[in-house]
Amino acid sequence: MGNKNNEEKIDFEQALAELEKIVKQLENGSLPLEQSLALFERGVKLARQCREKLQAAELKINKLIEEREGELNEEPFSEEPD
Amino acid sequence: MATAPARKILTVSQVNALVAEMLDEYFSDLWITGEVSNLNYHSSGHIYFRLKDEGAQIDAACFRSSAQRLKFRLEEGMQVVAHGRLEIYVPSGRYQIILDTIEPRGIGALQQAFEQLKRKLEKEGLFAPERKRPLPRLPRVIGIVTSPSGAAIRDMLKTLRLHRAHCRVLLYPVQVQGEGAAEQIVRALAGLNRRDDVEVIILGRGGGSIEDLWPFNEEIVARAIAASRIPVVTGIGHEVDYTIADFVADYRAATPTAAAQKVAQGWQELEQRFEQTEKELVMTIQDLLFHLEQRIDELSRHRAFEQVVRRVREFHHHAEILQAEMRDVFRRLISVRNETLNRLRERLSHQNPAVKIRQGMIQLNGLKTGLQQAITGTVTGLSTRLARLAGALEALSPLAILARGYALCFSADGTLIKKINQVEPGEEMLVLLSDGRLRCGVQEKIPGGKNGKQEQ
Repeated sequence: MGNKNNEEKIDFEQALAELEKIVKQLENGSLPLEQSLALFERGVKLARQCREKLQAAELKINKLIEEREGELNEEPFSEEPD
Repeated sequence: MATAPARKILTVSQVNALVAEMLDEYFSDLWITGEVSNLNYHSSGHIYFRLKDEGAQIDAACFRSSAQRLKFRLEEGMQVVAHGRLEIYVPSGRYQIILDTIEPRGIGALQQAFEQLKRKLEKEGLFAPERKRPLPRLPRVIGIVTSPSGAAIRDMLKTLRLHRAHCRVLLYPVQVQGEGAAEQIVRALAGLNRRDDVEVIILGRGGGSIEDLWPFNEEIVARAIAASRIPVVTGIGHEVDYTIADFVADYRAATPTAAAQKVAQGWQELEQRFEQTEKELVMTIQDLLFHLEQRIDELSRHRAFEQVVRRVREFHHHAEILQAEMRDVFRRLISVRNETLNRLRERLSHQNPAVKIRQGMIQLNGLKTGLQQAITGTVTGLSTRLARLAGALEALSPLAILARGYALCFSADGTLIKKINQVEPGEEMLVLLSDGRLRCGVQEKIPGGKNGKQEQ
């Protein structure tokens, strides 16, 4: 559980860091056209990945119910309307 | 003749029993004030002491069941107001006051208890800054300990959504006031600590009186927070309310909303960073297209004309595809954002206070226009740039020019003929049209104006 969380987090942060680097390189403007285009393409791909990651992670809410022996069970929590 | 009345002789036990009856009848409900002395907290749970003033003393007892309800600890010399009944201890003939309620004089019992516990825990070092653990920057799983039906949970969830915390929330429902609430909170903290996925805990409740907030001033709750392996953020009551739990917590937020905000902060910053980068990426393609245009200008003066146009066309096509992809990303972004906006709008419509709705609407519109401006600005900017580029390419293409009915003439040695005196009658020429070439002979030279018409 915790491991998967971390992997995803690192993934996202790494992708974002790479994206930032790409943008810096592109803004620098000293690259040949073909390279710029290739970089841009990579950037679009990364942006899409990040976006999908962000959107996949909606807030999920579960309620914990303590059973005997202190075991915790989860069940969906439905909020009351405001 | 009158006889003397017979003497009624009572035993000691009878006298004491009579006094007991009288005390029961006349002294079963009295308030008393005095100073505590000879204090003895007995191992049985009873408290024995004396109440005194300048001129007198009385033995006092507070039995375990009442003593357990006292929120504060009696101290030698403390001035108290107490309620109870007088009782005679038949075997010894001594009487004492049995107290069921004791309050410090001049300061509420709860306030007194609060100060006492605060001093005690502070001395133990439970509030020390070096004990406070850092909060995780991007928590994936957040434990929340609060009432499932209060305003606090709603505020917290709303805030987490608003700040785009990408995480799972585990709500451990507890009573947040009244009898047994402190024990439930302790159990909740322990339960969450038994899991290996919870990264931070929010302990929260809405505002209330000191009595309402009391569970958060209980020693067992303070110790459970201190013992928690997982960092604890408190958001209890309002800005002005301080509880013992706040002092022990790793981070004290003023309200439940502020607590949720603190926990979601890292996520919000990450998202902002990403969106900024995404915008910058879109800006770079505009620059790229601008470079392409410049390149076309440069290269169109070059000999390898058609080949160049073809290459630039390829670039141009490539850039178009990328731009379409970006647009696709934005389109999805818009639809997702719209869903979020719609959800928010729906939630807002359930909220009654007009002010909230107005504020929400303003915020919504701000978000929407900001978003639309960013996107339409970017996309139309790109579109016009691309359209211009396509136009420029079109105009530069020799094929396009020939298709419009123009022709290029070359002399036998391959020079482009622009003036009639470059050739003489009888010479051969090559005429280039859009779909092929004509070999022709010059019959006559007719000088004319710029429009090529014969002068009369």
